Amino acid sequence: MRLRLSYDDRSAAILVFPVLAVLLVVAAYPILYSFWVSLHDIVLTRPLRRPFVWFENYERMLGDARFHTAVLRTTVYTVVTVTVTTVLAVGVALFLNESFRGNKLLNALLLLPWATPSIVNGLMWKWIYDPTYGLMNALLVKLGLLDSYRAWLGDPDLTLFLISNAAIWKQMPLAALLLLVTMKAIPDDLYRAAKVDGATVFQRFVHVTLPALKPGLMLVLVYETMISIRHFDLFLIMTQGGPGDASYTLSWLIYVETFRSLRFGTGAALSYLLAMLTFLLSWLVIRALGERNA
Amino acid sequence: MAAITLQGVTKRYGSVTAVQALDLAIHEGEFMVLLGPSGCGKTTTLNMIAGLEEISDGTLLFDTTDVTRLPPHKREVAMVFQSYALYPNKTVAENIAFPLKLRRVPKAEIERAVAGVAEQLELTPLLGRRPNQLSGGQRQRVALGRAIVRQPSVFLMDEPLSNLDATLRLSMRSLIKRLHHQLKATFVYVTHDQAEALTLADRIAVMRGGVVQQLDTPEGIYERPANIFVASFLGSPQINLLREGLPRPDWVAEGRDVIIGLRPEDVARPGEGLATLGGRVELVSPLGSETQLEVALSGGSVTLRVPKDWRVREGEALEFGVDPARLHAFDAATEQRIAP
Ligand SMILES: Nc1ncnc2c1ncn2[C@@H]1O[C@H](COP(=O)(O)OP(=O)(O)OP(=O)(O)O)[C@@H](O)[C@H]1O
Ligand SMILES: [Mg+2]
Repeated sequence: MRLRLSYDDRSAAILVFPVLAVLLVVAAYPILYSFWVSLHDIVLTRPLRRPFVWFENYERMLGDARFHTAVLRTTVYTVVTVTVTTVLAVGVALFLNESFRGNKLLNALLLLPWATPSIVNGLMWKWIYDPTYGLMNALLVKLGLLDSYRAWLGDPDLTLFLISNAAIWKQMPLAALLLLVTMKAIPDDLYRAAKVDGATVFQRFVHVTLPALKPGLMLVLVYETMISIRHFDLFLIMTQGGPGDASYTLSWLIYVETFRSLRFGTGAALSYLLAMLTFLLSWLVIRALGERNA
Repeated sequence: MAAITLQGVTKRYGSVTAVQALDLAIHEGEFMVLLGPSGCGKTTTLNMIAGLEEISDGTLLFDTTDVTRLPPHKREVAMVFQSYALYPNKTVAENIAFPLKLRRVPKAEIERAVAGVAEQLELTPLLGRRPNQLSGGQRQRVALGRAIVRQPSVFLMDEPLSNLDATLRLSMRSLIKRLHHQLKATFVYVTHDQAEALTLADRIAVMRGGVVQQLDTPEGIYERPANIFVASFLGSPQINLLREGLPRPDWVAEGRDVIIGLRPEDVARPGEGLATLGGRVELVSPLGSETQLEVALSGGSVTLRVPKDWRVREGEALEFGVDPARLHAFDAATEQRIAP
């Protein structure tokens, strides 16, 4: 039987085709190729011998202690970053949703961190945390909260959270803006009705704002999770996985395997594991928030 | 039960005065309609009674209690919004139960109350649905249900029927009227639809530019409009207003510059005790039970509603009678009514 397409469907297919073709070349091909690479033992120091090894790279990495550390660090970093970003973003959005003088200006200022290039952001925070001339040391000592300067990023218990802090500073604005837009779409009458019904500020937040915010929250959570789990540039600029293995995340491990040890096969395998983890987590978030009609 | 008294209530938004020194005494159990064109301050007035807008100036009393600065939930009022304002993520039952839940009413009691209200408003089969699965009329009934479930003493309604089609509006009108009889609560109802106001109200406050133009029963407002604005706002088709061409009622002083008003339905066949007028018929619109005519008089054209057995044709001359006692006279300068 021939595939029967309505006029609309046919036009749609014709219009979408060029984009699909481009996507196929620039997205699908590298994805498939890197999978192919991950099934080979490719080491750039001996470029001519690249045997097909099936899933050996995956097996090796799953059993590697560095991998276990990296998963742990990545999980802690992601959970902290995503949670704090989201909670802050809700707060900031609630604040900016109120009308007050200077509201517009604050809205514009809010986007500044987001517009900062990641490299600049990383360097800026590295400078703030600097053990000898850092802003944070100066501030805390001047306030009398600290006796002497400290090497903040050298403290293995703090590193991950300090990097997370830098990431939150950059990522929170976009999340807040997204939630603010969702919030602005909530009809005023709903709040008025809730007021008349006897709801307190907190009850209005729970019964009116939060339900309406759900789609926006889901987007923010998924987006932030995907960004955080793969985060790389801050780690490269600020700590390079250290001190010790305190900030040794999955993306750092991938970098080390691929570009320092030049083991492209295991690097590609790790990338695939990371992609699957991202996918799994996003799916869990969507499922947790996405009960039908709720 | 509560009487509502507004004393010099004013609302200013910056330099805009939305409501100007409003004095209004709404009796206990009364059905008061605030009627007026768009932007005249009806919603603002209602919101001030509800506590949703701060009162810039003046005093608001519920019975003898000053509630001017009281937040909405302490005023024990229920409100129905034009947009229905149902909580989209809650079912019909949860929507209706919400005000009781917030008041920590025991669960069994809430269930009983919701079931009772659903019965009353014929919502029982819809209790499990969400607002987006309801028609406009059903949503409006849920909004009513959420309001009456608390059995408040004051009901505020802001154009609750304006999003419904004509047929549904009629049946909802009688539902609201029935609710008023059953609940014996004080109703304040905002509308810009004069027919709605005339059918529902015990008394109507006609507003314009934040000022009450006239406060009276529907009959009083219709029969004795205080000024030209009120006269033309009520009645469909509109009252005919002419400077010349209509007879001057005998209570109007000689030489005074006046505008005479004639309601389209206040005409008859020429007869004893009636002033006789004549003109050419320009337009005939049959309306079923009646016929609407445009007739050119010497001072301008008038709209008339006559029984259909008059059998008038366009282009013909028509003579008709007018009872001078049923004419309205207004001062041409002040536009105020000149009473007999
Ligand atoms: N938040 C506000 N800021 C400034 N002006 C306002 C505000 N709300 C209302 N107004 C003004 O107050 C006046 C009265 O508004 P209101 O909403 O009470 O009118 P309304 O009689 O309910 O009209 P409608 O029939 O269109 O609903 C209008 O001129 C309006 O422009
Ligand atoms: Mg209004």
